[in-house]
Amino acid sequence: MMERLTVAERQQAMLITAVLALAGLILAIAGRNDPMGVHGWMTLFFAGGLFFVVGNALYAAEPTEDRTTSYYDDPTKVGILLSLFWAVVAMGMGVWVAAQLAWPDLRFDAAWSSFGRIRPVHTSGVIFGFGGNALIATSYHVMQRTSRARLAGHVSPWFVLLGFNLFCIIAASGYLMGITQSKEYAEPEWYADIWLVIVWVSYFVLYMRTLARRNEPHIYVANWYYMAFILVVAMLHIVNNLAVPASFSAAKSYSAFSGVQDAMTQWWYGHNAVAFFLTSGFLGMLYYFLPKRAERPIYSYRLSILSFWGIVFFYIWAGSHHLHYTAVPQWVQTLGMTFSVMLLVPSWASAGNALMTLNGAWGKVRDDATLRFMMVAAVFYGLSTFEGSFMAVRAVNSLSHYTDWTVGHVHAGAMGWVALITFGSIYALVPILWRRESMYSWKLVEWHFWLALIGTVIYVFAMWNSGIIQGLMWRTYTESGTLAYSFTDSLVAMHPYYVARTIGGAFFLTGAIIGAFNVIMTIRRVRQDTHELDYPTKSEAGEPAVPVAE
Amino acid sequence: MTILYLLIPVTILMGLTGLGAFFWTLKSHQYEDLAGDAERILHDDDTPMPPRKENVR
Amino acid sequence: MPSRFTGPPEHSRELVLTSPTIRCGGCVAKIERSLAALPEVARARANLTLRRINVTLTQPGDPLNPVLAELERIGHPGRLIDSADLSAEDKDETEVALLKAVAVSGFGAMNVMLLSVAVWSGASGATRDSFHLISALIAVPIVLYAARFFFVSAWGALKRASMNMDVPIALAIALAIALSLFETIRGGGEVFFDAAVTLTFFLLIGRYLDYRMRGKARSAMTGLQGLAVREAWEVTPEGKLRPVAVETITPGMVLRIPVGERVPVDLRVLSGASDLDRSLVTGESAPVAVATGDEVEAGALNLTGSVDAVALRPVEDSFLAMSMRILAGAEESRSTYVRIADRAAQIYAPLIHLVAFATFIGWLLATGDWHRAAFIAISVLIVTCPCALALAVPVAHVVASSRLMAEGILLKEGSALERLANATRAVWDKTGTLTDGSPVLSNAPEFSADARAAAALAEHSAHPVARCIARMHSTPTLFAEEITEHPGFGVEGRIDGRIARLGRPSWVAEIAGKACEGEGPAFAFADAPMLRFPLRENLREGAQATIIALRQAGLESEMLSGDAASAVNLVADQLGITEARGDLTPQDKVVRLQDLLAQGERPLMVGDGLNDTAALAMAHVSMSPASATEAGRAAADFVFLRKGLDAVPLALRMARRTAAIVRQNFGLAIAYNCIAVPLAIAGYVSPLIAAIAMSGSSIAVVANSLRLNSQDAVRATAPQLQEVPV
Repeated sequence: MMERLTVAERQQAMLITAVLALAGLILAIAGRNDPMGVHGWMTLFFAGGLFFVVGNALYAAEPTEDRTTSYYDDPTKVGILLSLFWAVVAMGMGVWVAAQLAWPDLRFDAAWSSFGRIRPVHTSGVIFGFGGNALIATSYHVMQRTSRARLAGHVSPWFVLLGFNLFCIIAASGYLMGITQSKEYAEPEWYADIWLVIVWVSYFVLYMRTLARRNEPHIYVANWYYMAFILVVAMLHIVNNLAVPASFSAAKSYSAFSGVQDAMTQWWYGHNAVAFFLTSGFLGMLYYFLPKRAERPIYSYRLSILSFWGIVFFYIWAGSHHLHYTAVPQWVQTLGMTFSVMLLVPSWASAGNALMTLNGAWGKVRDDATLRFMMVAAVFYGLSTFEGSFMAVRAVNSLSHYTDWTVGHVHAGAMGWVALITFGSIYALVPILWRRESMYSWKLVEWHFWLALIGTVIYVFAMWNSGIIQGLMWRTYTESGTLAYSFTDSLVAMHPYYVARTIGGAFFLTGAIIGAFNVIMTIRRVRQDTHELDYPTKSEAGEPAVPVAE
Repeated sequence: MTILYLLIPVTILMGLTGLGAFFWTLKSHQYEDLAGDAERILHDDDTPMPPRKENVR
Repeated sequence: MPSRFTGPPEHSRELVLTSPTIRCGGCVAKIERSLAALPEVARARANLTLRRINVTLTQPGDPLNPVLAELERIGHPGRLIDSADLSAEDKDETEVALLKAVAVSGFGAMNVMLLSVAVWSGASGATRDSFHLISALIAVPIVLYAARFFFVSAWGALKRASMNMDVPIALAIALAIALSLFETIRGGGEVFFDAAVTLTFFLLIGRYLDYRMRGKARSAMTGLQGLAVREAWEVTPEGKLRPVAVETITPGMVLRIPVGERVPVDLRVLSGASDLDRSLVTGESAPVAVATGDEVEAGALNLTGSVDAVALRPVEDSFLAMSMRILAGAEESRSTYVRIADRAAQIYAPLIHLVAFATFIGWLLATGDWHRAAFIAISVLIVTCPCALALAVPVAHVVASSRLMAEGILLKEGSALERLANATRAVWDKTGTLTDGSPVLSNAPEFSADARAAAALAEHSAHPVARCIARMHSTPTLFAEEITEHPGFGVEGRIDGRIARLGRPSWVAEIAGKACEGEGPAFAFADAPMLRFPLRENLREGAQATIIALRQAGLESEMLSGDAASAVNLVADQLGITEARGDLTPQDKVVRLQDLLAQGERPLMVGDGLNDTAALAMAHVSMSPASATEAGRAAADFVFLRKGLDAVPLALRMARRTAAIVRQNFGLAIAYNCIAVPLAIAGYVSPLIAAIAMSGSSIAVVANSLRLNSQDAVRATAPQLQEVPV
């Protein structure tokens, strides 16, 4: 990998890692009496390790390839592998968290393994570790292909990818040590937040510079979704994490806003994170990999552009529906509700556009599990956006809020939409990146697909049931006007569903492990006895799903 | 809800950025051939375009 | 951002070609890659929508031939588009300006609506007042920018002391803003900023769609051209050939007209002989032989022999240019047509202004509170702002025109649909319209040895009559040798050792043993009896069914042709057209149409030739096939790309269906007003109700118009095909 960098670029990389290692050292010394110091050491080792890896190959031969005739795919490859690594780790955490809810003894009486600490490891791990790495990796691929230009620079893609992973490591390890600023999806403390801003701004600059050197005048719509993802996440992250550190020698900080203002900012951030991290970026993936895999253009390109602007404008104000029946003024809640309901229009336009693209190619969907991943993802996208708009209505929210229904809704989106479109895109991408005719085994792709689908369905149905039962038990009164059930009663009623949820999650995790195995075997070029295609096809005259490259 | 006096300007600023981006797309003729642009990504030979022969500038 | 895609085209490096065979993404990729591989090409980009290719040459002034040859080789032949045509397209900046205004007002509508929703949901006190202020800061500049189209148009109408739909629109928007500003300053509870901005947004969408429809049709037409001559070959005194632009031809210049090219200006033949196809110029179906000394009109197609000729007149005095002048006169007469929306506005606008005024007086008298009276009167104006009314027509027309475009029928502007819907009579040109211009043998002679020999000779000529004789015997069993083509006369050759001729009867008779009476071209072996091939014209696909379908729709047909009366009557009989006139000059056709118009008829003219151009422009509404002359297409309201004539009844059905939808839309808009106006007069209309009512009625109108997209909108019961006696 190092042989693709020029000596000057290697020196540049060494300089950057040296500065980062120094920053780690300063953090370690300043926070020597605080868990923050551990993060300083981790940063030092991370950056130092990279420094030596690069330094080792500093005077190896200069690259001989003609950089104008190929794309730079090394960071994409590493990003895909990191994404799969995080998927297995974070989904494993998820199964463990779910199991803890059913069988609390699984905490083993340790502080670091308590629910409150490993749950954010699960959520940040899947959203940022799995989703974020997949977004960065696929965006590198898509921006190069649709611009018909090589990445702008050879060090900055690595800086963005590895820097982002350093953030993820700091975040996850911090939770286990009890470092959190208690903001959903924004738990990491101030120093991690500052680091992410630096990484994210480099990401945006890299994207813009690559677009600026494009050889194709038209900017494909997927790029707009990716750019909105990068730009808006940067803004949300900065505003929501405005905080004053209690001291520069410790992790603790206090939010710049207080009380209900802080809650409003948090959910303005929280829901827009759903919009621009978990929707916009993955729609970019959908709009590139789905047409590519189905080998037919998007049904209505115009509609994909229109729904882009619709999503960008409608999402911004939907967040306050997370604060129904709180101290937030009634009209702020109504505002959030109104825009959440209107949001359905552009959301369904996107889902419909994806499904209409496949209309007429159902034969391919039947044969090709990769395409089926994307198709089911679009269906779940449509379902969960409808559910979301529905749950944002105040009357519905009075039943659903604080119950497992919300958890079910989030997982319908996260497992059904985000994870499935990501796995579909990875299966479409891996053979292209590593120049293989197909995946190692199409049967394992099928296995993964069905495990993921069954796991999602079990999970979501369990949570719907438990959520509604919970909501009803909490609001049932006796004739004398007291609550009919104690909170413990409702917990007992939840037990079977929590067991079911663990099973659903385990299915999903198994699928992800199989997927990771399949990808690794594809990369290691392990041949099966018979020459297999990506999918069993008779209808497509035995053509490989991916054009034979090289 | 004084926080809205921060959030509203930030949001309007984002909207203006979007509007500016849209104006730029108009100026750079991004919508001239939507049918062709949707098809274009499907015909990708996985190499960047050859360097342009701009020996006249 | 890089400017390399946006900069002005560098001098003569940027070329635009049209290539109608671009049909899929694969073609785009193929063309771009093949062209980019050429050393002459710096950049090539194919446009699937417009079926064009933009080529940037490496060096200014590089020859284009390698590019054209490469396109030919990969199966996508292209033709250069004249830069003058393109600049005419580019000049129309209004579409982009409208789209920008749509975006700006959409952005404003979104943000103002957000603040309004907050106020409606209960934000009160200082929050409400500050939200009103923020709304004002957003709405005022946006309305000034985006709604300027309405203000300008309304001001123009008022200056001419007339009324159009934009007058009430502009008034409502302006008053809504003014009232809201006033209320904001005095801390009032109800402002209409959201109404003003969303109104502007909706109306601009309608206007933008209307414009885009026209622009799209215009670009599609540019791609069709190809008949007009751009370059000619001058024979220099030294006897060399030199290309010259048509505009630079001066009288006295000697030009060479090769086979297959059109005559650029009016000419007199100096040397050579040929047959010319004048069908697009005069309507004559049969090719005309020309020889030294004959005069030829611009636009005729040279079929058989290359001729040298001297230019008689510069291009602007040619027959073609004179036709254009008749055309200009005819078009003027049509511009008096008032679109249905404007007719509605002439009634609607004064009415609502009267109602609003009466409301003001009424409330003032009843309460004595002038502020309250003004508030209610203005809310009446806002509520009656003809949003749905203004969308009623353009949206239906846009949907109909895109549906028609999908069927291969291009439409120049929305008013053509209105005019077609109420046409009362169909007037047809013959050659090239009802017939496809090519001859067929009306009575195939017996399958004799002579006929086979004639076919063998005919194989060697490009003359349309020869082509049709050759087609009669598709597998020639005889072979002709020593072929010589005598332009203007026919083909001579040797078959089985005997001299044979096919062509003009008098010329064939020179060698024939015995002349024979009859119609059409002749064939004979030397000193043998003559054989005649009677011809008739080939009817265009679906011609009979079309005439019947139109009759069923209430449109009687008549035929106006420049061709000989005998030929005209023959075709009229075949089609069952009772009224047919032949030997007409272009002026005669115009006169006939004027007569029809004077009788109160609203004729639909269908024609293709130069000689029809003025008639097309004079008629109430007109159509022409894509094969028509450029002038013809420019004059017609509809151009159909399909081969068959069924495009005519199809367009008629679509137009009538559109008219019905437009009437329903007006009905919806009126129903909306019947509910909204009394509420407004009674003072019950709050900004929230206004917003809901206006969006509701607009959406209803749009949804109703979308019904035109359904399949059965154009499908019709197939007209009964009757056997028409020949």
